[in-house]
Formats: sequence, C-alpha cells, structure tokens
Amino acid sequence: MSKDDDAELLRRTAVGDETALRGLFARHQTRVFRFVLRRLAGNAAVAEEVTNEVFLEVWRNAGKFAGASAVATWILSIAHHRAVSRLRKRREESWDEDAAAALQDAGDNPEVAVQKADKGAILRRCLDKLSAEHKAIVDLVYYHELSISEASEVLQIPENTVKTRMFYARKRLSDLLKAAGVDRGWP
Amino acid sequence: MSEQTAEEMEREEIEMLLPWYATGRLDRVDMAKVESYLDRHPQLRSQLDLVRAEQEQTVASNEALGAPSAGAIDRLMASLPAARPGRWRAGTRLFAAVADFFATPTAGAVRWAAVAAAALVAVQAAAIATLLVSDRGGTYQTASGQQTGDGVSALIIFADDATAEAISRLLAEFDANIVDGPKPGGLYKIRLRMEDRSQAAQVALRRRLAERRDVVRAVLSGRD
Repeated sequence: MSKDDDAELLRRTAVGDETALRGLFARHQTRVFRFVLRRLAGNAAVAEEVTNEVFLEVWRNAGKFAGASAVATWILSIAHHRAVSRLRKRREESWDEDAAAALQDAGDNPEVAVQKADKGAILRRCLDKLSAEHKAIVDLVYYHELSISEASEVLQIPENTVKTRMFYARKRLSDLLKAAGVDRGWP
Repeated sequence: MSEQTAEEMEREEIEMLLPWYATGRLDRVDMAKVESYLDRHPQLRSQLDLVRAEQEQTVASNEALGAPSAGAIDRLMASLPAARPGRWRAGTRLFAAVADFFATPTAGAVRWAAVAAAALVAVQAAAIATLLVSDRGGTYQTASGQQTGDGVSALIIFADDATAEAISRLLAEFDANIVDGPKPGGLYKIRLRMEDRSQAAQVALRRRLAERRDVVRAVLSGRD
C-alpha cells in the first residue's frame, strides 16, 4: 500500500470524488474495523457503525488534512477518537463489556488453561485480557506497525508515554502469562 | 546516581525500544542505539524472541476478527449526501471523472494516472476472472460451491499493480486456486492446499502470503 496513493485518494476525496473515498475505504476499512472492534470488546455491529462514522469524518475533513503524517495514521487517529467517544458513552450508560468479558473469561485455572491450549493460544488469551489502554498500544505497534511518533499522534499522548505504556503493557502481559502457568523469564 | 543504576536505566531504555526494533519502525538514531547495545549485551537478544512471539499472536488475534460485512461500503456511500456540505457533488462516479478529465485536459499527469489506474484495475479484474473460471473446472469444487480436500480458505486482496501473470505465478507457488470473487473491497477467496491445517500453520502460511507485497495487498482468514 503506497503512502503516495493514499495521499492522492485523500486529495481527490477532498474535492468530492466518491470513487476516491471508495478507494480509501477499500484500503483501510479492515484495519479500522479491527482497531475499533478491539477497543469495543468485540461488538462487531457497533464496530462497523463506528467504522462508517470514521470514513464519514474522512469525507467531511479530507480538505483539512495537513499532510504532516501518513494518511493511514490520520485515519487511525480518527478511529481512536471515535472509539473512545463510544466507550465513554457506553460507560455513562453503565455498560462495561470489558468487565463482562473479563468475568466470563475467569473460568479456567492455570493448569486447565495449559492443557487446553498451546503457548500461542495462551499468549493470545493473555493479550485479550490486557486493559483497553494496553491493548490499544500493543495493536498499534504490533499489528498496525506504527512508529513511536505515529502511535503518539493516534493516541494523542507524548512519545515517552508511548514507550512506557508499551513497556508496561508487556510487563503486564508477563504477569498474566505467569498466572496462566507460563513463566517467560522476563522481566 | 550509581553506575549500577545508570546501567539499569540504559537496559530499560533499550527494552522499551525493542518492539519497534522488531517491527523495523525505529528511526536511525534509536536503531543504532539498540544494535550497539545488543552487540555489547547479546543475552538481551532472547527478549527479541518474546517480542516476535507477542507480535505474531497480536497479528493472529487481529486477523481472527474478520472484516466488515459486505454491505458496509454501500451503507457508507448511502449516507454521504447527508454528511457532505452541498457544494461538493461533482465528479462522483468514474465516468464523470473521465468526462471531467477530457473536459479539463490541463489538469495533467494526475488525471492521466487516475484514468490509467482505473483501467489497470479493470484489466486486472478481468484477468483474475479468467483464472477464476478456469479454476472452477478443477477438482477442488463441489456442486454446492464448498471446497473439499486437504486445504484451507483465505481471503486476499491483490496489489493494484499486480499483473495476471504475477498472480498466476503466486497461486502456483502456494498451490492455491481462486474460488470466488471479486467481493466488495476487491477481496478474492482462494483455496490453499496444505496438509498441516493447524491454526499455527495457517497463520504462518497467511503471513508468508502477506509478505509478497509485490502481488498481495492483504490476506485474511477465510471460512471453510
């Protein structure tokens, strides 16, 4: 996926070219959808709705894109903002699916978990148990492969905070793995 | 500050950078800093294995989430008129864009590139359709459209500039067939023959496919 192609599609979107918006949607919808879905604790219907809102915002604000960052980073920052707003709204309505998911997930003791799954599966389960903040930074770094400055832009936090948040997310992951019976010798 | 503390601080700083070192997203200065530290402290390299395992499983978790439903693009486009201030309504369809191009030839190379890109995409779709038709005659497909045999499905988006020849070569290399598509978003369903159908083997295979960025833009897990 070329950054130049994204910039050109966004430039055309800014002058009302729907074909260009379709192009941006085709290129980025899956990344945005997955990013939002992970923030919203797996509610696919709401994630799809939020993904649409993200691209509507792209349509409305394409002309305001300053070009200081990659288009993909800019779109992810809109997605982050939208997901946070949606979560805030949900909390105001006293509905916390993260907590519900965590409760549902608390069934297996470590021995059973080790028997049930290989190390990779245990690692995935522990990644899923990270807090929303930690999950977001892990996804942005490992899945979306953002640099420190790009993650800083998406999350609207200083670069040093990006580094420490990722560091503590990894430490927390080690704790969760240990509790699941996997000691990986770090930290 | 004791020497010990300074050493610990340096180690912690390097540990903080390792995830970006592993993904190749560090700037030159930090990259050199990490490499120099790893040369002096090779025992820290074992941490890179942890980082890579974390990345692999994060990618697997994300890929397992699937993609938006097929109608997502239509719902987005249907909501545009209400979302856009009235003055932007020109050049909204491809034919309009082409007409616009001929009406304003001074716009230059950018418009030529857009038209050429649209033509390329159309040519690619037609070429892939040929591959699809020929594969439907193969031994993999049952009358109901379900696949049989020792393989798995995946969804793939080819690179915009991938030629039919390059796609065909890739499919041969991976012992794969196109069985459906294009779906919304330019997705094609492919069937890959593989004996080891474990989750790990599937993830590894999809990653190998995704690494072929000259031909492949994205790979998703398919439903068998």
